[in-house]
Amino acid sequence: MQNNPAIVAVGRTKFGEHYGKKPEQLIEEAWLTASNECSLERKNLEACYLSDCFLPITNKLGLEEGFLSELTQLHVPMEVTSSVSAALLAACNAIKAGVYNTVLVGGIEKMTDRWDKIRDDLMLLEDPWSYYAGGTPEANHELMLRAYIKKHNVSGDDLDKLNLALAKISVKNHAQALKNKFAQFHRRITIEHVLSARKNARKLLGLYDFAPISDGASALILTNASLANRFTDQPIYVLGESSATDFITFPSRRDLTGFSATRIAMKKALKMAEIPLIDIGIAEVYDQSTVMELISIEDLGFCEAGTAWRNIRGTCDNYEGYYEVNGTKLFVNTNGGLKADGNPIGATGGAQIFEVVKQLKNQAGDRQVMIDNNIPKFGCVQELEGFGTKAYITILGGEIIEQ
Amino acid sequence: MSSEPIERRVSYIGDTLRACRCSICGQEYFDARDYCGNCGRKSFGKMQNINLFYDKGKLEFCTLVNEPTNKFRKLGSYIYGIISFHDGKIRVPGRLTDQIIKEDELVDFSDLEGREVIPRFRRRYSVSATEVIPTISLAFTLADEYYPHQEYKIVPSSKEYDTPGIVGYGVYTSRFRIKENRIERAVPFIDEDSVTAAVEAGKMALIHSAIDSSLVGKVYVGSESNPYAVKPIASKVAQVLRLGKEEEDMQAVDAIDTEFACKAASSMFKDAASLVNYYDSEIKYAMVIGSDNSQAAPKGCPGGELDDFVGFGGSAYIFGKTDLIAKIEGWYSITSDTPDFWRRDGQPFPLHGGRFTGDPAYFKHVKKATEKLMEKCNLKPIDIDYFITHQPNPRFPVKVAAQLGFKEDQYSISLQVNKFGNTYSGCSPIGLAAVLDIAKPEDLIIVTSYGSGAGSDSYLLRTTSQIREKRERQKINIKSQTENQFIKFVDYTTYRRLKLGM
Repeated sequence: MQNNPAIVAVGRTKFGEHYGKKPEQLIEEAWLTASNECSLERKNLEACYLSDCFLPITNKLGLEEGFLSELTQLHVPMEVTSSVSAALLAACNAIKAGVYNTVLVGGIEKMTDRWDKIRDDLMLLEDPWSYYAGGTPEANHELMLRAYIKKHNVSGDDLDKLNLALAKISVKNHAQALKNKFAQFHRRITIEHVLSARKNARKLLGLYDFAPISDGASALILTNASLANRFTDQPIYVLGESSATDFITFPSRRDLTGFSATRIAMKKALKMAEIPLIDIGIAEVYDQSTVMELISIEDLGFCEAGTAWRNIRGTCDNYEGYYEVNGTKLFVNTNGGLKADGNPIGATGGAQIFEVVKQLKNQAGDRQVMIDNNIPKFGCVQELEGFGTKAYITILGGEIIEQ
Repeated sequence: MSSEPIERRVSYIGDTLRACRCSICGQEYFDARDYCGNCGRKSFGKMQNINLFYDKGKLEFCTLVNEPTNKFRKLGSYIYGIISFHDGKIRVPGRLTDQIIKEDELVDFSDLEGREVIPRFRRRYSVSATEVIPTISLAFTLADEYYPHQEYKIVPSSKEYDTPGIVGYGVYTSRFRIKENRIERAVPFIDEDSVTAAVEAGKMALIHSAIDSSLVGKVYVGSESNPYAVKPIASKVAQVLRLGKEEEDMQAVDAIDTEFACKAASSMFKDAASLVNYYDSEIKYAMVIGSDNSQAAPKGCPGGELDDFVGFGGSAYIFGKTDLIAKIEGWYSITSDTPDFWRRDGQPFPLHGGRFTGDPAYFKHVKKATEKLMEKCNLKPIDIDYFITHQPNPRFPVKVAAQLGFKEDQYSISLQVNKFGNTYSGCSPIGLAAVLDIAKPEDLIIVTSYGSGAGSDSYLLRTTSQIREKRERQKINIKSQTENQFIKFVDYTTYRRLKLGM
């Protein structure tokens, strides 16, 4: 498989608020980190696949490609998608097709530039009918949780435990982010923080259940496998990637208790990677809320529908960095997740991939996970666009599976 | 929304909740579309339009929105959730309206989930004062509260009349009231205005009349509180209620707004009746709506005296020559240029001529029109069963009725100003509705409107034998709206805030 896509370097900025920086400066910073890592020059790039979800709205930037061309003095083909995973998928296809050998994949978002209007924009893009009816970005998560509770008949004592499990997800992600220098939040929180925010909100989810609004950029360099060793000793291969799409109007979807798009995409990605699910030891899931982390673990197939909260609760009492599922360890959102690492939408996927790549290369520092004294062999990234309207799954591994 | 084409499309679908059903596989969709996702190309042309506006739904799941997006801020906190129709075949997002949720109030969501809800036509969200006001019917009220669900069932007409008259009517007021000095007045919720009340009243009139809305050939909307200086309320009513035949995305109906202070609607009763009576008229039914979010300056400001009496509400009457509940047997109109009450363009609140609003204005015109009508029809006050007139305050109608020689039992039932306030264009029609709610067949009714500026129209109505059977179709009558355990009373500050709207 000489055309197998391989990630030879990853880079990112800190997520959070970058008041003084232009969006292009953020991507430049991420790209420089990545290119330094693999000693790659701009002129080696044959194409750029970029992503941003909001720049035309938040920064009144159209034709982001042109800004990047001006910055890099490059005239190669450039395409813009809405998420890093989407950009990566397109780049992988091009590499596999043999069209390009070396491409840049990157994402930028600058949401805080439109701080006071961003929730309206988010909701309008994510689910217009729900927006018109008065929905907020948070409301869909709460409704999904209520639908989940009802469908799985969680009540009484169990309901308290589920709520506590969700709170622990948030606490865990904040704890993980303490070890991540790029994370938006470096602040340990406690169960009490989460619970009292919920009490203030007078509903199931509160401030500490949701990912923040962020600025940031991420970048990775993708080559075909036969070239990868020129740039790095440790290429990370894209073994499987897939996406699926669901209705934009959340209430119209057949299943309100999870994301069908994730389920479909994961099945296809696993098939492409030709590895069993159980071999995946690390997962970066799209936790725009604690509910999303819970539900994504189920949607990805790690837990049966309606059960993940039991696993989470069971292992979070004495949290050692992983959830125990099916008798094995599953490390989820070791970078702090969207909750604590940050969620600059168009760049988020890059940070998720960054984390898995670093973990698979044993370069994650304090966050490095070990499974039975070995670094994990495979990891997966789940990125969503909208409220589960699109799901992208990327399965990464340190070696190519020989057929 | 600053884009008019987008606004038009969202409103076209959302105001009347246009959905569709595949006639091949039965799958239902919100919103309307040209083909079925299951059946593909063969379903082209086989999608049936359905309209959820008259349906009832079920609140499946809900949560509290206490940090709304910018455009919903003025609503404060509200309940938002997922509503299903037709046993879950269609699900839509929606917010519960007509609820004031206090800042520290705990809402028991499980108590709300599973309950039936009814779509309400309301303002969608706030926009700047120069923009088109967005509307939507993804706002819902609980069916077991103020407004129960009423089925809109078309009943073939059974009887033709030679004289035109009233086929059906509906009165819409809000569930909110303010009570001051023993007077209760209807207060709009923050997402209501004269446009939304006009549509809701029209919907109720259609339900009561049980006629096919496509047979309504003309709609008049009288109001003096249209939120637009230029843009008709009537076009909104025609589109949301789908009056007249549908021609592509237009309605084959004539729609017009009228203005003459508080007689803007009642003046058109005779026009509507005449239109359906025209010898080769293709218009079978005509609808007249009077709707006002009556304006008044705050107390203490110039014109603030009116703030003791202004109300909110709409009434709609459908005129035709089939299955009448009351025939129009005569009318008499009187007009003079008397400046007793006015509002200059661009001004938010009206002013009035103080002591000159009585004798030279209200009393003079109401008396003359009523006396001349009785004279024309050879009737004396004693021959009349019910007398209704305009009610700007509780005192004027009683005084004019006495001056005309009517006894208390002839007019007391019509006095609704103590319950709803002065609903301006909706006022004398609401008084008439209170009478029609209880009248017997063959009762003689005189209703005399009054519009400042000034003029009066006096009508002689005779109820028919059908009035009783048709009454069954209207559960939401004046009584149910005055004696309702779900009425919410608000204080003066809240009243002024709600009155301002989104």
